[in-house]
Amino acid sequence: MGGRALRAGFLLALLFAAGWYTWTAFAELSYLSSAGRLGPGFFPRIIGSGLVLFLAYSIFADLRRAAPEGDVSPYWRTAAVLALLCAVFVGLLELIGGLLAMVAFMAGALWFLNRGRTLQNVLVAILLPLAMYLIFSVWLNAALPRGLLPLPF
Amino acid sequence: MEVLNHLLLGLSVALTPINLAYLFVGVMIGMIVGIIPGFGPSAGIAILLPITFGMDPTSAVIMLAAIYYGSMYGGTITSILLNTPGESSTVASTFDGYPLAQQGRAGPALVMQAVASFVGGTLGVILITVLAPLFSQVTRSFGPPEFFLLVMMGLSTLIVMVGGNWRYGVISALIGFALGTVGVDLETGQTRFTFRSAEMIGGIDFIPIAIGLFGLGELYYAMYTGLHLKGSGGIVRYDKERRFWPTARDFIDTRFSLVRGSFLGFVIGVIPGAGATIASLMSYSLEKSASRTPEKFGKGMMAGLVGPEAANNAASSGAMIPLLTLGIPGSASTAVLLAAFVLWGLTPGPLLMAQKPEFAWGLIASMYLGNVALLALNIFAIPLFVLMIKLPYRILAPAVILVCTLGTYSVNGSIIETWLMFAAGLVGFFMRLYGFSPAALVLALVLGPLAEQSLRQTLTISDSSFGIFLERPMSAWILGITAAVLIAGIFMRRRARRPI
Repeated sequence: MGGRALRAGFLLALLFAAGWYTWTAFAELSYLSSAGRLGPGFFPRIIGSGLVLFLAYSIFADLRRAAPEGDVSPYWRTAAVLALLCAVFVGLLELIGGLLAMVAFMAGALWFLNRGRTLQNVLVAILLPLAMYLIFSVWLNAALPRGLLPLPF
Repeated sequence: MEVLNHLLLGLSVALTPINLAYLFVGVMIGMIVGIIPGFGPSAGIAILLPITFGMDPTSAVIMLAAIYYGSMYGGTITSILLNTPGESSTVASTFDGYPLAQQGRAGPALVMQAVASFVGGTLGVILITVLAPLFSQVTRSFGPPEFFLLVMMGLSTLIVMVGGNWRYGVISALIGFALGTVGVDLETGQTRFTFRSAEMIGGIDFIPIAIGLFGLGELYYAMYTGLHLKGSGGIVRYDKERRFWPTARDFIDTRFSLVRGSFLGFVIGVIPGAGATIASLMSYSLEKSASRTPEKFGKGMMAGLVGPEAANNAASSGAMIPLLTLGIPGSASTAVLLAAFVLWGLTPGPLLMAQKPEFAWGLIASMYLGNVALLALNIFAIPLFVLMIKLPYRILAPAVILVCTLGTYSVNGSIIETWLMFAAGLVGFFMRLYGFSPAALVLALVLGPLAEQSLRQTLTISDSSFGIFLERPMSAWILGITAAVLIAGIFMRRRARRPI
């Protein structure tokens, strides 16, 4: 996949979101309040219109440049897999609880990034989440997800 | 005399054992945050914010501020030993720092950067001590038009001064403003862009956005560029050198660079939107222009390391002035600090120094002590930080994701905010990849409500006339300063296209 197509996709996604924002600002939010002052739609209309104009111009100007952009980095898969693992981690948080989700995420991420060092990976995947659990949940008494089957401790 | 009394009050607050302990923890964390490439003070402060929830507000802010200025010191160690800046504000330190290390002068370079950082940081705090009360007096006369213009000044300076595509900078700021309008409109009570979700009524919390953009986004980008495959193989072995300490000649040759860098950095730091990176690059240019041997720059000139180092630390101190006296952050890092202040019920602005002197002066006094602690750490704890540099990124990266996720979840115990952080991470990656400005986005998100409120109030006062911005002397002054800064920024961008 070319870098230009990816950039176009990103800019178009932003333009789509900006278009929805601007439409909502004009269609659902009033410019003036019932007291005759500037209302809740005043600022969003300016922001939305500016966003649509700048994005539309950027898409037009950037994509017609003569110089072609290079291909994406060969490491894009690494970044994508890490983002996917992160999404699975967030999804698991309220399902199996903070501690187990942390262990699962660390095990998966280290198996992917740090291959061939099994003992090191196992130790880090267990000890680091345990330390984080103790710091956040025990020492700081911060809210951590308990999961559907909470741990007995 | 009054300043001295305030400073003594501040020292009595900062010197309590608990505040000293948090200060030391803060500077240590700041050093580590500065050392990790792609992980800056904005993410560091945002992630560690939940850890401070059980603390006294003054202790919490002392620790968070220490992370902020501590990171300026830490980033240089990797610049000198590995030719990789840990922080964007230490990019200029690679130009001569790494060549010095390659010539067998890593020890003197490390000590001189610590001294320069200390001088810049301490001179900056002295200037805050003298100037912050004066600024506070002046800004008490500011009304909605001035506050609106200051927000615009900060954002436009950030967009013009920082390199890259300025159109993308404007788009980033507009996205931040748009996110800032989500929730209840405070004047009419009407909800906006909430998708009828109860969790959205309070607006979009900026902590998940900041952690996502600066933590996850930067990390994905580091992976995309293959940073996880690079080891610490290129690290210079300073412990094998014959001479660790700098010579008297090093100090004599760089004495003016120290002073120039400190004052330039402080002035740049006070301007909202400029900041430590601009200050260090401008200082490098200044040192090269002032030198009798400019051709030696880039080949291991001590002045090319000392000037930018003094400048970036003085700039980080200078940035505290608009933050404390106006409540206007000049960068993404100080925007996160502002959010921490607000979280603790402290409202930075013209009245802060008069109404909460123990807090404001406690923070300023702690910065003197923090700089002393950082000087000692930077000279005597270098082996410890070299160990940190050797930690492989492929292990560090998942650990950082763990801290980002837990840090976000523990703020409000909200899984929706955790998903928001994840989404912000993806957007942050693309923003980084294509040259957008995550800093402008976060700054606009934090300042958006203030900008909207002050613009609406201004136009109500003036009966919808924009002429009010020119009629009021203070706002006309701010407009003039903004125009001067923008012209300087455009000039700098043109110069930057030529090699430094």
